Amino acid sequence: MSTILEQKCPNCGGAVEFNTGAQRLKCPYCDAEFDIAAAPEGNSNEVEQINWNSQGAQWGAGETEGMSVYACNSCGGEIVADATTGATSCPYCGNQVVMKGQFSGALKPDLVIPFKLDKKAAKEALKKHISGKKFVPKSFLADNRLEEIKGVYVPHWLFTCDAIGNANYKATKVKKWSDDNYEYTETSYFDVYRSGNIGFDNIPVDGSTKMSDDLMESVEPFDLSQAVDFNTAYLAGYLADKYDVTAEESMPRANERIRQSIDDAFKDTVKGYDDVESQNVSMNVANGIYKYALYPVWLLNTSWNNEKFTFAMNGQTGKFVGNIPTDKKAVTKASLLLGAGIGAVIYGLMWLIELL
Amino acid sequence: MKKLLSITLALFICFSMFINASAATDNYIIDYAEKLASSEIEELEAYAARLENKYGVCVMFCITDGTGDVSADEFSQATYSEYTDNENGIIIVHDDGNKTYSVFSSGNAGEVLTDAAVDSMRDAYDMNESYYGGIYACYELAEEYLENGYSGGYVYDEEPVKGENSTEEGNEKDGVSIIWLPISLIIGLVVGFLIVNGIASKNKSVKMQKNATVYTRPGSMVITGSADNFLYKNLDRTEKPKQTEKN
Repeated sequence: MSTILEQKCPNCGGAVEFNTGAQRLKCPYCDAEFDIAAAPEGNSNEVEQINWNSQGAQWGAGETEGMSVYACNSCGGEIVADATTGATSCPYCGNQVVMKGQFSGALKPDLVIPFKLDKKAAKEALKKHISGKKFVPKSFLADNRLEEIKGVYVPHWLFTCDAIGNANYKATKVKKWSDDNYEYTETSYFDVYRSGNIGFDNIPVDGSTKMSDDLMESVEPFDLSQAVDFNTAYLAGYLADKYDVTAEESMPRANERIRQSIDDAFKDTVKGYDDVESQNVSMNVANGIYKYALYPVWLLNTSWNNEKFTFAMNGQTGKFVGNIPTDKKAVTKASLLLGAGIGAVIYGLMWLIELL
Repeated sequence: MKKLLSITLALFICFSMFINASAATDNYIIDYAEKLASSEIEELEAYAARLENKYGVCVMFCITDGTGDVSADEFSQATYSEYTDNENGIIIVHDDGNKTYSVFSSGNAGEVLTDAAVDSMRDAYDMNESYYGGIYACYELAEEYLENGYSGGYVYDEEPVKGENSTEEGNEKDGVSIIWLPISLIIGLVVGFLIVNGIASKNKSVKMQKNATVYTRPGSMVITGSADNFLYKNLDRTEKPKQTEKN
């Protein structure tokens, strides 16, 4: 058994939660509010050894790998969680608990961006997201059911560096002219070289294998100026995971984005050509540092036609993403109708021009 | 008696021919633009004279570089009146300078050389690369129409070429060919497909970020090296499509 932490109200003993509106801890039972800095230490107990002897089957070697077992401080219920789970709720009493060991020592996040938007805002954003889209199957709008909504602190690695880049481009200039008999096209080819430096601050890379990388990158960017030093009190009322992708494993993705940024930025300086094509981009990184941060994300799971749809909302800015199914028949029908209409207009305009 | 009758008949025929010849116009081809050789003009004149003698309709053709201060209609009417007294006739004026046509028809000519007939004559003229060949083709068609018209063969158009002394602007539009309808439809379908799929693609909002530009430190970019080196050049020469002399 591991150590777990519960934020308890000093007034009534109820489990307190982080309130997004007040940006403070709040007791849902007696409405008492506390600053994060003055948050009660919580009741951290080493769970006592259970001396019952089981007659049944025992976990074999390796079977409990990836699982952690905790005991709820409020009701004593056993919480079986993923090895990376850092905060969750007790399935028996509903109290919010934080697995203290998941964020201690070297595992402690440097920063956390607290949730600014609550569950209600996430639900409204989902409605708005779906209702504003075209060619969505009508049955999806009618039958799509919200099955789960959860606020999750997602572990991210933040990379800061000075990048030194070199890039080569193949550029062309095209000149056209004609005389009485011929049309001429002269294409001039150039090798263009650029080198320089660009600084990058806090490029985030998803540090959790549970979260899909494209979903996490889609809810970017987060405003890191609103990040605060990590405190377990911010996790109360939300789910949280510790990273299971190391910083070293995340670096290639950060490098990939840096390289593309260098390419794009240097390409913008290649002017006066009709076409510019990247040939080669190389880079070195200096003063590279990385930080560990928890980013707030609302995850919403819906189902339709036995298919799961996951939506995500940036818990700080409200940016909402998620793929919605498309009614292919409606798309085909609209394409044909619009195409026929445009075709008729083109033909009509040709007549008009001819007659004028 | 028979001999006398024969001589009288011969004299009558000669007289008739003389009358017809004197009624015929010498200037069926008016070449202000000097596009035709004199031998070509003579040949075309002979053809036109033959038509007038046979059908009583004067078919004139005029090539000019401009109509001066008068309109194309006035020019065609004035030219017709200047060169013939035949009440039944038609003149096609090709303004080579302005690339326009005008037509003036008089008397009963319009009943046979209708809108459609004149259009096809003009097309035949257009399709020929030489002026002589074009006018000759035009006369051939005129002869065919006159022959069929006089023999009650077929009607080319319900409506004659305007009323007496009416004029028609020669550059009247033929409309857009029906072949453009499926082409327009295909273009429309492609455009429609792109627009609709562009809208539908907004239903997909989950994707990896392409770069980290949003995390670039403001003002941190410094270009330290820059070179634009010319490598080589290619010159492509394409022959222009040939145009006919008239067009």
